[in-house]
Amino acid sequence: MATNVLTDSHDGIGEINKYDFRTESKYVFKARKGLDPQIVSQISEMKGEPDWMRDFRLRSLEIFNSKPMPRWGGKIAIDFQDIYYYLKPANKQGKTWDEVPDEIKKTFDRLGIPEAEKKFLAGVKAQFESEVIYGSLQEDLGRQGVIFTDTDTALREHPDLLREYFSTIIPPADNKFAALNSAVWSGGSFIYVPKGVKIEFPLQAYFRINAENMGQFERTLIIVDEGAEVHYVEGCTAPMYITESLHSAVVEIIVKKHARCRYTTIQNWANNIYNLVTKRAVAYEGALMEWIDGNLGRRLTMKYPAVYMMEPGARGEILSIAFSSAGQHQDAGAKVVHCAPHTSSRIISKSISKNGGRSSYRGLVKIESGAKKSKSSVVCDALILDSASRSDTYPYIEIDEQDVTVGHEASVSRIGEEQLFYLTSRGLSGAEASTMIVNGFIEPLIKELPMEYAVEMNRLIELQMEGSVG
Amino acid sequence: MAEVTTSLGFNREAFDAFLQSRGEPSWLRDQRCEAWAKFEELPLPSQKDEEWSRTDIRLFRLDRFGFPADRPAGARLADGLLTHRVELGGQVTAWDSHPHSARLNEKWARRGVLFGSLDELAAEHGDLVRSHLFRAVDAHYDKFAALHAAAWSGGTLLYVPRGVVIDEPLHMLSVISPGAADLGHALVILEDGAEATLLAETASLSEQSPGLHCGAVELLLGPGARMRYVNLQNWATGVWHFAHQKALVDRGAALQWTIAALGSRLAKVNQHVALVGRGAGAQVNGVMFTEGKQHLSYHTLQHHEAPSCKSDLLYKSALQDVSRTVWRGMIKVDPAAQKTDGYQRNDNLMLSDHARSDSIPGLEILADDVRCTHGSTTGRVDDEQIFYARCRGLTRKEAVRMVVAGFFQQVFDRITIDSVREALGEAIGRRIREYD
Amino acid sequence: MPDFIRVANISEIPDPGRKLVEVDDRLVVVIHTAGHFYAVDDVCTHDGGPLGEGQLQGFTIACPRHGAKFDVRDGRALTMPATKATVTHDVKVVGDDVLLRLCG
Repeated sequence: MATNVLTDSHDGIGEINKYDFRTESKYVFKARKGLDPQIVSQISEMKGEPDWMRDFRLRSLEIFNSKPMPRWGGKIAIDFQDIYYYLKPANKQGKTWDEVPDEIKKTFDRLGIPEAEKKFLAGVKAQFESEVIYGSLQEDLGRQGVIFTDTDTALREHPDLLREYFSTIIPPADNKFAALNSAVWSGGSFIYVPKGVKIEFPLQAYFRINAENMGQFERTLIIVDEGAEVHYVEGCTAPMYITESLHSAVVEIIVKKHARCRYTTIQNWANNIYNLVTKRAVAYEGALMEWIDGNLGRRLTMKYPAVYMMEPGARGEILSIAFSSAGQHQDAGAKVVHCAPHTSSRIISKSISKNGGRSSYRGLVKIESGAKKSKSSVVCDALILDSASRSDTYPYIEIDEQDVTVGHEASVSRIGEEQLFYLTSRGLSGAEASTMIVNGFIEPLIKELPMEYAVEMNRLIELQMEGSVG
Repeated sequence: MAEVTTSLGFNREAFDAFLQSRGEPSWLRDQRCEAWAKFEELPLPSQKDEEWSRTDIRLFRLDRFGFPADRPAGARLADGLLTHRVELGGQVTAWDSHPHSARLNEKWARRGVLFGSLDELAAEHGDLVRSHLFRAVDAHYDKFAALHAAAWSGGTLLYVPRGVVIDEPLHMLSVISPGAADLGHALVILEDGAEATLLAETASLSEQSPGLHCGAVELLLGPGARMRYVNLQNWATGVWHFAHQKALVDRGAALQWTIAALGSRLAKVNQHVALVGRGAGAQVNGVMFTEGKQHLSYHTLQHHEAPSCKSDLLYKSALQDVSRTVWRGMIKVDPAAQKTDGYQRNDNLMLSDHARSDSIPGLEILADDVRCTHGSTTGRVDDEQIFYARCRGLTRKEAVRMVVAGFFQQVFDRITIDSVREALGEAIGRRIREYD
Repeated sequence: MPDFIRVANISEIPDPGRKLVEVDDRLVVVIHTAGHFYAVDDVCTHDGGPLGEGQLQGFTIACPRHGAKFDVRDGRALTMPATKATVTHDVKVVGDDVLLRLCG
């Protein structure tokens, strides 16, 4: 039996590993870094994908190679040949609780993360309790006709449905990192909500217990059929730990007539990664798409969730918060494109820079000709907490239609001395006062989060402000 | 009507002949030669360059223009729009990049003020000009800047010695014949505590004729100086207008810079205000009113290099027909520029279904004790306002004119020179038409 | 309605192939594909940049920058990130001449 280099440690409990290379593999697959057609073909082969997907990956690789690096945004110094692109489903699994760094454990405690979740998030192999809790949720959804699985499984079990929408919102040529993801994607969520079904509780990535959750190149596809509703939550306030240095995901969302979709991301990376993500949704007649995007990052994040309003009455809302500390650059924002009349959009962005961090808002409001009676409002507020930090705002407003109302406002400031004085004279320490003001600053976003996240988020801000995390 | 005689294209031979004809001091020749080398080296900007991504100049033929040809024969030029009923302290005019006329009231000349053709004064006052020419504008910034630095002529110099307060406005007018080029350079130097008001405008001799403006403006304000500068670009609709304009505002100095952009086929202007000394201030007012197929692209920069400075920019554009405006504005605050107050606002009024406006405000803030905001709005004429106006007996056209005037009112209120306010109001009023 | 004007000789534009022409202050791409001639504005409606140099396959031209595809027959945007059609113009061949008439 060929050595399985992908799962380097073994456990007795039961390997949650769909890719059993031990028995089927015809190749002796050697561990190798690098990105070339051979590796891409092997990824497809090992997943047992249909030809069209393999061809799609190979075409995407060609496109990736032909595109230059973006000349705007943050500084990206990645050696693409120095990364493992094949699956490592046991990326975090196979670890024991003892191996989880202390800092991470302390953070979990401070944030009050439930016990079972802690271990799951830290990549410790799933405990049976988790399987039981989340297993029954899955049954419930299944009964309503909801499909909620990982994208690899969806390709196998719902190929036609997936193929109809896959890469139609973000084609590989869209940008260099979408092309990369298209070539080497693995994991991510696939959700289909049938007509009229309204899911009351948020779906979360770690409900999918049988797959790689925090992989580097997740590909998520969400289809919300007419009149349906879903809220999906990606990530968590707990520090996410992947050993790789590049996270390049693609999220495509289709919200059909009169449906609603909310996609919440709270990402707090524990290590130095490049977080370069393409997220885009299309909303049809009377549909509503909401992005809630929280970034407490590392090194460099470039992420601009987008909503294209394709038919009359469609609406898009994007709430974005970015917090940058030393050595970090959050280049985040939002894009809204109005392609039909009577559409409306709202963007609220709040960013905080501290200790030499850099937060940039980069956004687009585009109103195409014919999109009459459309409205858009953008508000960007930035707080710089000290003189070493930096804030930038780069909004682009392109209006090709007369009968519209568009407004954009941005402001940059620091915490007012009067505000601080007021609070400290009432017994709060300087740090506590600052934290309270910062919490007030991001309140519009916090109040949109599910309760437990809101609590965790506030605590996370506290930690950031103290400097004990990040 | 004067037609331009064969002008020599912008090629090496023509450049050499041009240099020869100037008879300028060697420092100036050298400066021109260096710029020419850069001009030859650089390609024309393309849409692949970020700064030009929204301004397509593929239809621009640089080879259709050239160095100033023979001096046009001398009719007295029209007065321009900004000088009605104004007592001027002086006036300088240029025609097809040739100095045409210059006068300055004796009382200012006596106090050491210089106001006249830069071409002529560069020789007489070499030291002064040499220490300031191209101090602000980067002569090698792009192909147009380099061409200008090599080929400038028909320029204007205004020098105001320390403490001199010129309380009569001065006027500059540049005119071009069909097919000619205006390569004028305006160099303004205000020493400590000096004050002046300068009204600059452009005009074409006939309404649709082609032409080129490849120019620059440098406003250098010493500590405590105060200046009001108005720049009215009113070329014919066939003119390609490329300009680099920069002000350096020193300690405690104040600049009010008003730009009105009404003409040209395509304009790409970089307007840069640098606040280089503590407590400097600048107010920038922009008025744009486009029609037909015009494409006006104005890039502004408010650069806070020193602490406690204030900058306040307001640009208002109204767009008709299939015209397009691009406004890109940046407020940049350096780490040393604490206690900055920076404001920026752009409002756009869409008067037709097929016009397009791109508004790109920006902030790059590296200090923390600052207050910076920017805002942008875009919309159309409010139907309710039209309705109420018509109820009061106004025709639809009059009602629209009133609404458009109201739109620009906020920026007009900031222009403290009556004649300019009136002239701009009238120029805009004349352009307003019946809209559906 | 403007007139037809001659913009090329048919020998200049092979099948498949294209030629960029300037008509009345406008840049238009004349395309020869699948035995017919078509003309579209040299504009990708996604980012406003040129379209003409993109890959041509059958009746589809793809913008070189972000891959948006357009149908050259009616200008329709076929894929993201473009959502709006680009303008098409009338083309006819008379003898050896390719004639173009601007529309819209």
